[in-house]
Amino acid sequence: MKILVSIKQVPDLESRFKLNEKGNWVVESDLAFRLNEYDEYAIEEAVRLKEKIGTDDVDITVLSIGPERVKEVIKKALAMGIDRGIYIKDNEAFSKDPFRIATIIHECVKDHGYDIIFTGMQSNDRSSCQVGVFLGELLGISTITTIIGFEYNNNVVTVKRELEGGKKMVLKCRLPLLLTCQLGLNTPRYPTLPNIMKAKKKEIKEYDVNDFDKITNNITITKLNYPEKKSKAEFLEGSVSDIAPKLVKIIKSKI
Amino acid sequence: MFSTREIYWNVGHSVLIPMYLFAFIAISILFYGFYKRYKVYKKGKPENRFDNIFQRLKYFLSNLFLQRKVLKVLSVGSIHALLFWSFLILFIGTTLIFIQADILNPLFGFKFLKGNFYKLFSLALDLAGFVAIVAVLTFIVRRFIIKPNGLETTKDDIIIHTLLLIILFSGFIVEGLRIAQTEINLENNLKLFSPIGMLFSNFFTTLSENSLLISHKLVWWAHFIFSIIFISVIPYLKLRHIFTTPTNYFFKDYRPKGKLATIDIEDESREVFGVNDIKEYTWKDIFDSDACTKCKRCQDSCPAYSTKKPLSPMKVVNDINKISFNFAEHNSLIDVVGRDAIWSCTTCMACQEACPADIEHIRKIIDMRRYLVLMDGEFPGEEVQLSINNIEVNGNPFGNSFADREKWIEGSGVTLLSEDSNVDIMYFVGCYASYDPRNIKIAKSFIKICESAHIKVGLLGKEEKCCGDPARKIGNEYLYQMIAKENIENINKYNIKKIVTTCPHCFNTLSKDYKDLGLTAEVVPYIKYISQLIKENKIHLQKQNFDCTYHDSCYVGRYNNLFEEQRNIIKLLGGNLKEMEKHHLESFCCGGGGGRIIADEKLGEKISVKRIEMAKATGQPIIVSNCPFCLTMFEDGIKIAEYEHLLKTKDIAELIEEHIENRGH
Repeated sequence: MKILVSIKQVPDLESRFKLNEKGNWVVESDLAFRLNEYDEYAIEEAVRLKEKIGTDDVDITVLSIGPERVKEVIKKALAMGIDRGIYIKDNEAFSKDPFRIATIIHECVKDHGYDIIFTGMQSNDRSSCQVGVFLGELLGISTITTIIGFEYNNNVVTVKRELEGGKKMVLKCRLPLLLTCQLGLNTPRYPTLPNIMKAKKKEIKEYDVNDFDKITNNITITKLNYPEKKSKAEFLEGSVSDIAPKLVKIIKSKI
Repeated sequence: MFSTREIYWNVGHSVLIPMYLFAFIAISILFYGFYKRYKVYKKGKPENRFDNIFQRLKYFLSNLFLQRKVLKVLSVGSIHALLFWSFLILFIGTTLIFIQADILNPLFGFKFLKGNFYKLFSLALDLAGFVAIVAVLTFIVRRFIIKPNGLETTKDDIIIHTLLLIILFSGFIVEGLRIAQTEINLENNLKLFSPIGMLFSNFFTTLSENSLLISHKLVWWAHFIFSIIFISVIPYLKLRHIFTTPTNYFFKDYRPKGKLATIDIEDESREVFGVNDIKEYTWKDIFDSDACTKCKRCQDSCPAYSTKKPLSPMKVVNDINKISFNFAEHNSLIDVVGRDAIWSCTTCMACQEACPADIEHIRKIIDMRRYLVLMDGEFPGEEVQLSINNIEVNGNPFGNSFADREKWIEGSGVTLLSEDSNVDIMYFVGCYASYDPRNIKIAKSFIKICESAHIKVGLLGKEEKCCGDPARKIGNEYLYQMIAKENIENINKYNIKKIVTTCPHCFNTLSKDYKDLGLTAEVVPYIKYISQLIKENKIHLQKQNFDCTYHDSCYVGRYNNLFEEQRNIIKLLGGNLKEMEKHHLESFCCGGGGGRIIADEKLGEKISVKRIEMAKATGQPIIVSNCPFCLTMFEDGIKIAEYEHLLKTKDIAELIEEHIENRGH
């Protein structure tokens, strides 16, 4: 069985975000980058499947697009138990829309014959929820989104997915298929040191984005804005006798 | 006629052959027992504990003969010391008899146990025997009647106490029987130099000569046989501590206190990191477990144990011993010790400080944590894994942006090394003083103190990362080394000569652990640094009276023996310092060390509250401390105990800053 996990490196949401000069993306210098949270569930589920079926019968590939720093998350995925990596170098990945990214991935993997593709249901930075679905469509395989449960038995996959209003749905599906993973699917493992060391020897195939980039953007970001400050919290400090009159004053001013 | 007695009286010299035969057998059994144990010690990995031989010998002798560590707990320690010294005298006495009766006399016809020397010899041995009996009886009362909390009694204890009593009493009975026959009716005062023997002889004066002689023979043999049994069982019972504990003094750890072994994480031949199988320990760890006497001092001093957590340092060491000597080899040490016990340790070092056998508990626990984290990816809780991830991504356990690390300096005029590296000192701020609002005040106070002394301070700013202490102590050696190397690279880049820290955990990590990874700069804790500035008259302080108590943080106190500088400063500021129940080397941890600061305290009572209760008991309104973890834990503890109106926390830097005299520079 061949499995693909498609992942993304995203800025940590606690980072100090500053817009770039053009105002169409953020300045990277003060950002800390990490593996997209939902992609972590995708990696974990793929590795668990491999552990369940037997390590010799399953081969998992992880793929990511972006500048050099993206290799860090590929290495992390390899340390978590993925077998091999594909790195597509693209310093301008941030400017490409979800369909274009999906097309690039499709061009790269269309002949690989993956049985299952796992990916995060969305990215922490753009939250478009589209790359996985587009990729499934381009490959012409069944696609199930926001899964929170996964079971595999003799080529049949049973998944649980989240619906609106707290309802859940259980689906059975034959391979090949693409799944986008949601919070609650699993608790990702912490890479062990022997696996971190083994990961250093695992193969990462490198490509240039120009090999696969066949289309232009449908969507272009023209301008980003900081969120408007709608409410604020104020801390009153001091003794009770100091705070009380201040508080009364504030309450009175609001009524 | 000289005062003396006939050696081998009544039993005759014919006992020599069976006696030496039995003695030989007993000593063989003793050696065999230790040889078997030696082979188990050898299962551990190599570690050199034979450097500084003379220093080691001196320490060994002084602790053996003066019982220094044992006497640290005066009550029960002094009883042990008396027992030791009395047995030492009895041992010397027996050796003297052996030298005279079996070597010098038969070969050269020379006797020295006569005259006044004999009288002294006789009196010393009699009194030693008496003291030993009193000591053993005291131990029996303590162990079997008073039963102190937590003292574990096994069959070993019953055998040992019984053997000792039989040997000591039978010795006096033999002596009493002999005196009854030979000395009691003599005109001279010789019997007075065997006061206890004389006392015993009173019971036998009514016996006929024949029964006296037969009884003497029988009891002589009984005394001998039990002594021989005693010698032969030493390695097989807790008695082995007679040899293993003093030997452990010789093998004392001479590395900087609390320094952990740096694992070579690049070593590709290595398959196991940390310890789950005793073979992964060094021989010293196994030997340590054999030097334990279960005196429970470690347990009594352990903050985790005393707040009802499932950790007893004594039990950890004894679990290691059990697995090393009894269990099958494949047994998982971690399963036996228990994860909750392993995660409960605050690495406060109180156990090692209290241990009269110089056992090194902490590194054993850290080694098991290393196995859990590095081999199994296990943590004490999800919150810890989250903090570890935060350290990985943003270089601090809170998950705040790494770029915000220098936010607190806005408007303070502090130099960033990236802009100007020509500074007097580099201040390694640490995560808490960089991000936590309560602790930022300490960083600001420290900067003000330095300003008043015209010291130019430089910071790494956002190039600084967590020192790695919580990660390392929780067992994540890999992450620790990753961030440590980054920090060292950044420090070395600016050619820094002197680093000052306000966090004792940063201090220990930088000054001891970073040495293995290439940091060469001198690292000084702020207390020492400020103390020096005061001595050099660079800081002018205004005395103003106030009441306080002082908490010795583990990593400045016990780890670095820094106690008096702080107290002198407090005095200088006008502080009336009242000590808590536990202070100096016996100080009680706040609960935040050993990576516990990033873990929720889910088991037992809160350590911080227990310490706050001790502070409250002093009646002082301020608890002064010197560590961001302590400060954070105490802020918590005060809130939980609802003592906000009674007790305020203060870091010593805040206190000093408040007392700086403004001379209008």
